[in-house]
Amino acid sequence: MNELAIASTDLTKTYGSIRAVKGIDLSVPRGAIYGFLGRNGAGKTTTIKMLLGLTRPTAGSARVLAMDVVSEHIAILRRTAFVSEKKTLYPSLTPSDLVRFSRGFYPTWSDSAVEKYARLFEIPMKQRFEELSNGNQTKVFLLLALSQGADLLVLDEPTTALDPVSVDQLLHVLAGDALDRGCTIFFSSHQLEEVEQIAEYAGVMDHGKLVMECRLDDIKSEFRLITAAGNSLPVQTSSQVLSVDVEGNFCRYVVTKDADGFAAGLSRNGATVTNIVPLSLREIFLQLARREQSCTSGNAGATPVHLP
Amino acid sequence: MYFWKCWRDTRSFALAFLVIGAAAIPITAAVGVGTSLVQGFGTTVFLPTFIILLFVVALGLGTIGAIQEFTDKTAHFLFTKPRPRAYFVWAGWAVGCIELLTIALVNLLAGWLTLAHYSQSPVRSVLFSSIKKQDIVGILIYTLFIYCLTYSLTAVLRNGLKGLGASMGITIGFQVIAAAIRVRWNIDVPLPPLPIGSLPIMISNVVWILVALLFVLGAQIVVERAEI
Repeated sequence: MNELAIASTDLTKTYGSIRAVKGIDLSVPRGAIYGFLGRNGAGKTTTIKMLLGLTRPTAGSARVLAMDVVSEHIAILRRTAFVSEKKTLYPSLTPSDLVRFSRGFYPTWSDSAVEKYARLFEIPMKQRFEELSNGNQTKVFLLLALSQGADLLVLDEPTTALDPVSVDQLLHVLAGDALDRGCTIFFSSHQLEEVEQIAEYAGVMDHGKLVMECRLDDIKSEFRLITAAGNSLPVQTSSQVLSVDVEGNFCRYVVTKDADGFAAGLSRNGATVTNIVPLSLREIFLQLARREQSCTSGNAGATPVHLP
Repeated sequence: MYFWKCWRDTRSFALAFLVIGAAAIPITAAVGVGTSLVQGFGTTVFLPTFIILLFVVALGLGTIGAIQEFTDKTAHFLFTKPRPRAYFVWAGWAVGCIELLTIALVNLLAGWLTLAHYSQSPVRSVLFSSIKKQDIVGILIYTLFIYCLTYSLTAVLRNGLKGLGASMGITIGFQVIAAAIRVRWNIDVPLPPLPIGSLPIMISNVVWILVALLFVLGAQIVVERAEI
């Protein structure tokens, strides 16, 4: 059995002259929670759409639950629950109507899950969708997705419009119930704290490229920010050096492994290593975003770090 | 599932016209009793009512019943359901088609019962003696044609009003062009539901039905290829 819930190879999407997604290689392990990060317009939603067959890849390929996204997308949808970035549903239908509508599409549908999550999220099931608050509309989407009994949950910014209590409830549900069933959760978010709270893996998209993909534990144990001063410091990224930020005679390196060895190498070449500190996901994200900004203005190239 | 949702979307419209279809002929007949109207009721009242009613219903159902998930921004919800997009296109079409035929049937039944009531024999009502079977079949085929055209244009243009406008434009425009060609070059351009050339009427009917279904097939292809 394939170990990956989602695997893509050189997945590319072009709209006219705009390359929205530039040949990404995603690897989402089965049964994992994977946080898909990126700034607005980074290509996250386009990638998700390709994975679910809503849009066709221009080049490359992807497999979801070991099935091809182009030729087997109906079979993929049978086992995948999706919460879209746009939380729009039929305005005149009530949540109960929407449950009735969705139920028939999925043989694994669970009415007990509907009851459970309706109670947990305090959703008014008899009120028309258009009359619900934004937060409750989002909750209806989540209710429908969670009741589907899917093997894969794809959530595109699922916490939009939710209050902190509801966000907490949702994260508990995802990290508890869904994961206990062996469900894989792939969710995009701008909220780095949420990702850090529940995800085991993270992928960072920027300007259509997957600039980093790693275990969050590796970030805590391996990733370091090294600050060094000196002349002719190396400015090239590599599989070990995720990003380099140059400021006068100082360079800040985000190193993905063997930080001590890298610092020793800098010292041997005459640099003074002033600081080696661990990094949070937020700091890495900001470093990558800065690097991508400089890349787009013609500086260093990006070297993605991928899962082993 | 989707059939139920389509029924919910169109039921108010369909039920309203069902009531109109059932009531229009008896009311007209009751008003016209004692006048010469009842004598020629089949051709002077029933047939025009039947045509106008079904024409309006075909346009309306084609517009509101068509797959409008793009306009409503619900395409990402519907098209991530594990069914081919063709299923949604044809399911929406089928619901409208059943409603259209039901309204036609009710109107026909109301007409027959009314005229039977005012005739000497309930079986051989004025309706049956004055109207040819092909008149009824022709009207049904024409309304199916209009319905399919409007449905497909609404789905393709992703907007009910645009679909309605385009459908009416094509229907009227084609009639005008056909008339102009006939006058200028004396060539008969086939118009639904009239017989095509020297083809038997039965074959012509089948051809027109197939042409109507081709419109829906075209909409299916467009929806299947649409990027969301």
